[in-house]
Amino acid sequence: MARSLTQHINFPIVLRVIGWLLLIEGGYMLFPLLISLYYGELSDVYSFGISATATFVAGAAMTFGIRPTNKSMRKREGLMLTAVVWVFFSAFGMLPYLISGIFTSVTDAFFETMSGFTTTGSSLITDVESLSHGIIFWRAATQWLGGMGIILFTLAVLPMLNYKGGIALFNAEVTGITHERMRPRVSQTAKDLWLVYIGLSVILFALLLKPMGWFDSVCHTMTTMSTGGFSTKNLGLHHWHSSYIYVVVMVFMFLGGMNFALLFSMLRGRFYRLRHNDTFRFYIVIIFVVASLIVVRMWHYNFFDSWSDRVIFAFFDTIAATTSTGFTSVNYEASGEFIAIILMVLMFFGGMAGSTSGGAKIDRFLVMMKNTRNEFFRVLHANAVTAVRIDGRAIPQQVVSKAIAFLSIYMMVMGAGAIILTFFGLPMFDSLFTSLSALSNFGFGYGVTAAPGSYALLPAAAKWFLAFEMLVGRLELFTVLIIFTRGFWLKD
Amino acid sequence: MKIVIAGAGEVGTHLAKMLSGEEQDIIVIDTDDSKLASLENYNLMTVHGSALSFDTLKRVGLSDCGLFIAVTPYETRNIVACSIAKKLGVKKTVARIDNAEFLRRVNAEFFVSMGVDSLIYPEYLAGKEIITALNRTWVRNWFELFDGELIVVGVKIRSNSPLINKQLKDVRTISQYLHLSAIKRNRETIIPHGDDRILENDIAYIATTHQHLEQVMKICGKEHIDVNKVLVMGGSHIAVQLALMAQDDYSIKIIEPDRDLCERLAEMLPNCSIVCGDARDSDLLDEEDVSDYDVFVALTDSSEANILGCMVAKEHGIPKTIAEVENLQFINEAETLNIGTIINKKLIASSHIFQIMLDNDASTARCLALADAEVAELVVKDGSKVTKAEIRDLKLPSGMTIAGLVRDGKGELVTGATRLRGGDHIVVFCLSGSLHKIEKAFS
Repeated sequence: MARSLTQHINFPIVLRVIGWLLLIEGGYMLFPLLISLYYGELSDVYSFGISATATFVAGAAMTFGIRPTNKSMRKREGLMLTAVVWVFFSAFGMLPYLISGIFTSVTDAFFETMSGFTTTGSSLITDVESLSHGIIFWRAATQWLGGMGIILFTLAVLPMLNYKGGIALFNAEVTGITHERMRPRVSQTAKDLWLVYIGLSVILFALLLKPMGWFDSVCHTMTTMSTGGFSTKNLGLHHWHSSYIYVVVMVFMFLGGMNFALLFSMLRGRFYRLRHNDTFRFYIVIIFVVASLIVVRMWHYNFFDSWSDRVIFAFFDTIAATTSTGFTSVNYEASGEFIAIILMVLMFFGGMAGSTSGGAKIDRFLVMMKNTRNEFFRVLHANAVTAVRIDGRAIPQQVVSKAIAFLSIYMMVMGAGAIILTFFGLPMFDSLFTSLSALSNFGFGYGVTAAPGSYALLPAAAKWFLAFEMLVGRLELFTVLIIFTRGFWLKD
Repeated sequence: MKIVIAGAGEVGTHLAKMLSGEEQDIIVIDTDDSKLASLENYNLMTVHGSALSFDTLKRVGLSDCGLFIAVTPYETRNIVACSIAKKLGVKKTVARIDNAEFLRRVNAEFFVSMGVDSLIYPEYLAGKEIITALNRTWVRNWFELFDGELIVVGVKIRSNSPLINKQLKDVRTISQYLHLSAIKRNRETIIPHGDDRILENDIAYIATTHQHLEQVMKICGKEHIDVNKVLVMGGSHIAVQLALMAQDDYSIKIIEPDRDLCERLAEMLPNCSIVCGDARDSDLLDEEDVSDYDVFVALTDSSEANILGCMVAKEHGIPKTIAEVENLQFINEAETLNIGTIINKKLIASSHIFQIMLDNDASTARCLALADAEVAELVVKDGSKVTKAEIRDLKLPSGMTIAGLVRDGKGELVTGATRLRGGDHIVVFCLSGSLHKIEKAFS
């Protein structure tokens, strides 16, 4: 028998599970359909109806048409499934945009959907207010689902993934250096995480209900909790001119950038875990330091008249950047690029691991900082044995190098993205910022891509590339990039 | 059911892996991160910490925990951990011990008052298992189900059996006294049908009842050997337990290379003869007149040495060999090497704990696991699909067979004409991984 040169990958089982997930997406599309019905936007009822049907049919065909002979799902299948399902979700999630005619090109529709699911929030739409309610709702809904994660949602609701293979999927989608499990079974963990997510969303909805009205409140809730950043208004949150809204949204972005396992243990009354959590302290310190810097800069350049505005907007922008939400409030260009570059560093690191935020995660930053301190210490004390301690526990050196390797690869992908964007004619800093913005799922551009909807000006190839970068960033590099390695496909 | 396992040693990890595949909520506690890391890819939660730490146990949350299993290497630690766990609200606790004194019935009350509900002593269980094998040398495996109402035996079929090369449908008469439930052939387990044949060197798993044992033995071409002399290789813990239990019934000789240990053994076991040396050494075996012995039991700590010892003993003409094989991967190899019975502490301990769970929670049905097949005890629910017709007319899932049933406390074998009733306890053989499908059909 000839030896096969390629790795055996069980495609049928991957496709079949994706079929299952598409059935869920088809069901999920019924929500915007109901919204359209409620507002009497009949053409949208039609486009959502068609999209949902198409997704259902495709899902059913894949689920019931494919009969895998071998049901084993191992590492390769798990990674492949997690990465590919996001592409499938975007491919079907873009149907409403295409059918309703908002976008005529597949490129644009795919970009917008991927930007939604990965909670990036980059948009090609300049005039959001001209869209129908159904479409606006769907944009927000993609972010809400993507924020916590497609696989995580499925693990919570479908028992079929609750077996050994499910763990691989969980690890492939949930962010962070190590994956904390709060409960013995992965489905319970997923359920708890979703409960926290839904609970916080309900509270935020109630808080925003009065000033915004229910529709805007729902949409902003979904995009805030997921730290996505799509708005229902052209001006975003400025539309309301309300400090109350800024503060409420700010607080919930902050929560969205926190580790949900930590939030869950707080809900169970374990506040002491907060005090002992190094990453959480670091998260707060960073926000305070950066916000104070911005306040001083604002004062220096005479932004705003009152101190309260300065403080609110400084904190708002700091948190929006850290959690990669991408709601912005102030145009800083008048004060030079100092604030822009600080915010860029913030969004590079993002929020805490296990949150809905993007970026490389400050957990890794913390590990890197502590390791750097140890390295300096070792220059003077060559024989010292040091350990990186997080939350009072020494972290194995292997985990430390994994975190640092992650940061290096993150930089490389960001740099490569910037080079590709300069190829399409963007200025250097703009392409660096835009590349990072996509990778960290922040969503806002700078310079050429700063104005709302200005991503539309990019050539199609650049849009596809940015959509790819968003996915790479959302699934934390390895899950997607591994598929492009030789070892994934070929036997040595 | 939430199950907390303290100690990620061999028994602990084996149990954790198996139970996590059984839809149980498993939490494993250990102080060694590297041991926990090996469980990373299983559907369970690991907690770093000591089983004796109140903080750790509280963090795990014991108030809703159904079973606490302490299997760290230290018996005192296990007992204390169980005691703490019980106080924190666990329903049932199990501690692994290595002291036979603790197992005495008079002491049970003391342990219950301390919060330890059950004790498992793997070496003692292994000793008991060896004695079962000594009593019935013609079988490889012997399982009693439903308090002995049904018996499942694993028998290696040799060329002298009248069953060889016959299709099952041609030997229908045997179904009066046995049910051929599974065949293990070259590492593969087959659930046989009417047109399957029995070949030489197959291991047949046969369900039967007590009164038909003689007939089963005869049709398999086996004879009863009266065991008098037992040669034990290695003076391990299990060997001591075995000797303590069986030194009055058999003449036992233990061969152990360590002189100090030999002296201690001689002190502990006055009725056994102790020889200092290596049981794999042919000269030594000849010197000790090894061909007189009926059974060779290899119980050193090394699985490889045990397998090798058994092969040497076979060559010297000992008819029955028993080896302790701790590496699960080696069990298949050992079986193909014609070693009579294989003892594995982990499997024995975990099937014992399964049994404890069975008493605790009626929904867990599995009782014992063969290499790639499972045997389950199920209760037929009233009005379920399977009560609607005779077994031969049921469309049962493939890869399973019903071996026997217990109705009104009496064991019966199952044939095609049997019709199940609600309330019957049945024994099902199935290939690994198909049990959940089967459970559906019966409820």
